Amino acid sequence: MKKLVLRLRDWPPSAWIFFAWLVTLSVLPFLIILAMSFAVRSESGLISWTFTLANYERAFHLVYLKVLAKTIFLSLGATITCLLVGFPVAYYLARATPEKRQMGLMLLFIPFWTNFILRIYGIVSIFGNHGLLNQTIMRLGLTDSPIEILYTRFGIYLGLVYNYLPFLVVPIFSALEKFDLSLREAAMDLGANRWQTFTRVLLPNVREGIAIGSLFVFIPMMGEYVIPDILGGAKEVFLGRVMVEQFFTMQDWPFGSALASVLSMGLMIAVWVRMRFEQRKAGPTSHGLR
Amino acid sequence: MAFAKTTNPRSTPPESAAVVLPNNIFITTMFWATMGFLYLPLAYLVVQAFLTDPGNIASGFTTDWVVALLHGDSLWEPLMNSLIIGVASATIATFIGTLGAVGFGPFSTVLPPSLTALIMLPILIPEVITGLSLLLFFLLFRFELGATTVVLAHASFSASFVYFIMIEQLRKLDPNLGEAAYDLGAEPGQIFWKVILPNIVPGLIAGWLLSFTISFDDFLISFFTSGAGLITLPLKIYSLMRIGFSPELNAMSLVMICLSTGLVMVLWSKEQSRKWVISGS
Repeated sequence: MKKLVLRLRDWPPSAWIFFAWLVTLSVLPFLIILAMSFAVRSESGLISWTFTLANYERAFHLVYLKVLAKTIFLSLGATITCLLVGFPVAYYLARATPEKRQMGLMLLFIPFWTNFILRIYGIVSIFGNHGLLNQTIMRLGLTDSPIEILYTRFGIYLGLVYNYLPFLVVPIFSALEKFDLSLREAAMDLGANRWQTFTRVLLPNVREGIAIGSLFVFIPMMGEYVIPDILGGAKEVFLGRVMVEQFFTMQDWPFGSALASVLSMGLMIAVWVRMRFEQRKAGPTSHGLR
Repeated sequence: MAFAKTTNPRSTPPESAAVVLPNNIFITTMFWATMGFLYLPLAYLVVQAFLTDPGNIASGFTTDWVVALLHGDSLWEPLMNSLIIGVASATIATFIGTLGAVGFGPFSTVLPPSLTALIMLPILIPEVITGLSLLLFFLLFRFELGATTVVLAHASFSASFVYFIMIEQLRKLDPNLGEAAYDLGAEPGQIFWKVILPNIVPGLIAGWLLSFTISFDDFLISFFTSGAGLITLPLKIYSLMRIGFSPELNAMSLVMICLSTGLVMVLWSKEQSRKWVISGS
């Protein structure tokens, strides 16, 4: 039997249409952002297509490094929290019966198919200054004025954890699902206690899958705009917010594009790492990302 | 003691029993506590819509606000816009995505990883980047921002979801089916319309519904690509939210929750779209 190979001239017209669609509406816009990041914004606000690295240099100015540091601090904190909370949740699902597992995964994801803005509004309704929590503690007489939970750095953190948790449960879950539970049993039979079994048998086996999953949560977090904008109050700076403001408030597309490009590069690296990892796990026959 | 010694420790060690037990109390508690954390804000949004005084949980319940919203005009225009954009973008995405799956389908096992990654790209890229890059694209090519750009933006990444759903659907198809039809005298057009198409309809429906749901729930990309004039339901909720708590906002949230949850239930009920519900968007 002849080996099936895909050559460009074998592509049927329908494949070309789909490909052209992808190139026009996904690749091209992305290349525009990339090109724009090397362009110059003149005093009059017009874009001139002269090559410069100034936008990237500017990203390393102290003021933006501070933004970056705060963003990384918050996103990392939120990712670690998602890991700590997500691990038991994923563990529960991995050990549940198939029916329970399906139900659990569905329960986990329903909130994430309700509109994003509603989830944010839900958080405001509970944790806001006039929200359920403050209403309750003020009624109980514990405090006279509302406790400011939102419109602070903590508000952003809360929003990030709430919105990204399931996306970290899934990679942990699939890593745990692949893990052979009899190994755990074997370790215990050989005299390991629970803690040793966890740190020396379970964790090393699921570490890589979880690390890659974390990367896919951490990087998009840094680009969040609405969460810091609504839950973070006016003072808190955040990378995604600074980036979007360059487009809408500052009208500095080149600099905004440079920030967007850096973020995208981070994600590309994550994708590349995951592809390498899955190829190594599944052997050379594997293709695709999922 | 003697009894304990004669028993083979490997057959019934207490630790081993723990492995077979479903889950310990800590794990189970963590799971349900997390679920509580995830659902509390949404559940409270439902309750809040019926409060007489939205700022006071003890004020009693009324359906007045919801009734007022359904009889007023503030809900219907954004809702209609959302539905029209959803239908249009889902239809385009289903068409384009299916073309891709039909075209690449026979080669899906030998597709170079770079091509698969390219098709995956629109799904993986964070929404904020997709939105900003499409905005620049539309502005540079002098598109007028509005319903058209939002439809194109939604369809641009939904097509990739449809592609993956249809690839799976086509894989399930018996490869001899077309050949058998051909042997029985069917022409290429007839083979597609009468033999292939009826067999891939479930995938088409699932792909369409998934695209529709993504479009209907989308906020960020609509926010970036809609310009000033167009208001979808999520955009309306956002603009009300910027003003502050109001009974109107709460009632509108209730409507949106019901529609979104209904849509995800439908997606879940379809085998072809179920796994995409779990990977999220």
